[in-house]
Amino acid sequence: MDSFIQHLSELYRYRGLIKNLVARDLKARYKNSVLGFAWCLINPLMMMVVFTLVFGVLMRNNIPNFPVFLLIGLLPWNLTAGSVMGSMNSIIGNGHLIKKVYFPREILPISMVCSNLVNFLLACVVLAAMLLVFRVELSPLMLYFPVILLIHVIFLLGLALLFSSLNVFFRDTEVIMEVVVLAWFFMTPVFYNIEDLTSTFSRLMYILNPMASIISTYRLVLLYHSPPAAEFLLRTLATSVAVLLIGYWFFLRQAPAFGEEV
Amino acid sequence: MVRFEGVSKKFILRHERSRSFQDAFVNIWNRRNRSREEFWALRDISFEVPEAGSLGIIGENGSGKSTALKLITRIMGPTKGKVQVQGKVAALLELGAGFHPDLTGRENIFLNGSILGMNGREMTNRFHDIVEFAELEAFIDTPIKHYSSGMYARLGFAVAFSVEPDILVMDEVLAVGDEAFQRKCLDKIREIKDSGKTIILVSHSLQMVKDLCAEAVWMNAGVMRARGPSVEVVDQYLDWANRKNKLRLEGAHAKEPEVSEEDNRRWGTREVEITRVEFLGGDEKPNTVFATGDTLVARLYYRARQRVEKPVFGVAIHRIDNVHINGPNTKTSDFDIEWVEGEGVVDYTIPILPLLEGTYRFSAAVYDYSCVHPYDHHDRMYTFTVQPKTMKERYGFVHIPCQWRLEPRVAAHAAISPLPDKLPVQF
Repeated sequence: MDSFIQHLSELYRYRGLIKNLVARDLKARYKNSVLGFAWCLINPLMMMVVFTLVFGVLMRNNIPNFPVFLLIGLLPWNLTAGSVMGSMNSIIGNGHLIKKVYFPREILPISMVCSNLVNFLLACVVLAAMLLVFRVELSPLMLYFPVILLIHVIFLLGLALLFSSLNVFFRDTEVIMEVVVLAWFFMTPVFYNIEDLTSTFSRLMYILNPMASIISTYRLVLLYHSPPAAEFLLRTLATSVAVLLIGYWFFLRQAPAFGEEV
Repeated sequence: MVRFEGVSKKFILRHERSRSFQDAFVNIWNRRNRSREEFWALRDISFEVPEAGSLGIIGENGSGKSTALKLITRIMGPTKGKVQVQGKVAALLELGAGFHPDLTGRENIFLNGSILGMNGREMTNRFHDIVEFAELEAFIDTPIKHYSSGMYARLGFAVAFSVEPDILVMDEVLAVGDEAFQRKCLDKIREIKDSGKTIILVSHSLQMVKDLCAEAVWMNAGVMRARGPSVEVVDQYLDWANRKNKLRLEGAHAKEPEVSEEDNRRWGTREVEITRVEFLGGDEKPNTVFATGDTLVARLYYRARQRVEKPVFGVAIHRIDNVHINGPNTKTSDFDIEWVEGEGVVDYTIPILPLLEGTYRFSAAVYDYSCVHPYDHHDRMYTFTVQPKTMKERYGFVHIPCQWRLEPRVAAHAAISPLPDKLPVQF
């Protein structure tokens, strides 16, 4: 426990590094493109258009405000997929750093989640615009949004820590996860409504897939103006915190060997 | 403060690393007959570098020097034993680790600073000094992928120095950059050392270890062979390395030479040999007793078995109690020798001997042009004495030409004389 607190205080001392790594990531990503940061806004819009064409026009459905419905599912999903797949490589990809300089290693997956979070927040500007365009009424329940996001991010940090260290020792984690993430995408109500599934299925999905609960709840507060179920908040929060603790514990156990393995 | 207590580090060499699930599963069944080769990079190493101390770690490639540094910098943990480090460590293991090619110099300074554990405010305060030290004012907003390797290294150095560490750890990094910048870095390292910081240096440049470090550790195959004042440890190591080399040339490579105290005073590979050293007076007659102010010529007789390009001849004078007085060589004196072959002599002349009364030890050596590889080194093998004769000065050990002047306070009403009564006397 003591060493755990020590780790956290060291992590706090290095917070500047997280900020700089996120900045490096974002700057490097957009530096060589003509449109630069505008891509953060254009990209979700274009994805929305493609998905709406496929799942709203080619395959008809009767969900009202489908583009907004879709966007509310798509943006959190992109945050999840980007964080999980990005952090997978965060340790190995920075092997040159790990072998040359000491710093708390967890900074690498954490900053990967953070830079995806920044992208997500920028894309939320598009989401806000779409809410206005589709004349979705604003409601005070939207203030639940940051709470849900917090739970979401706790969950992602846990996954990022877990998979980034696992991938150091078993390099096929990444290959496997590519398929798993694809399956996960279809098992998550991004482009469909979870209520449309049979009740056993949706029940099972809620229990096994925290992302299903998280995305449904985003929709609940942003689109359907109803408060999140207390059950959701407690259960998903508990799951997320558990994932974070397990992930961090696993990561700290493996981290001393990174210098030899990367 | 850095302390190693019985530190060992084991690496497991798997020829085919099990990095996939499949291998891991297979290995569950094969665990017993799986061949795992263990390799001990360090075995039971103990030493301590006190605050403001300086330690050089020397040894052949693969002797465990770099592993020791990685333990100090916490890049790895020890398998056994304890590594204690008190104070902020800055490591110059690789310059500019973490530079991103697409970002500008300015952005990289902040990024690299934070990797080394600095916060944004500290970096802002030091930004100007860093840019100035790196001499990159004109290019600071250029992406560093357009930098030359020298500019890259300069920026790396500048950032690493700005961390103001309590412990500066360096691994063979000074080999980059032009000579002027190397000198600047060395000055900076000395400055850091003089300000009471701890310095730990791994280097193949034994001269640098002697210059910068008070103490040295000689590692061989993961074991500490010697520890003590850097001058002595370096000499021991050189002697051992040269004897090993000689044995190898003779084909007896099975046995490694033992360290012995005797015949420690001569080493080298002998492509050029110093066959004799002779002292001559101003009258060209052999002599070993001189007076302060005399002319002293040291004549080095050499023999080169083959043509040797660009050798550097050097000498050194120590007082009898091993105080190092000087150590010039033909390279530092800009007296470049193109090549030598066969026999000949090299004269080292001191026109006016400044040494005061005493007995002095004289060394002669011939090295390759990098001054790293010794052909033949005679360490303090020759002796000459200096007698006072007409010289009355007797404190210290050199006479430095000087002038004295006396100016009594002139009374306010007295006329100021244009010339002092007594002109300065030249000694």
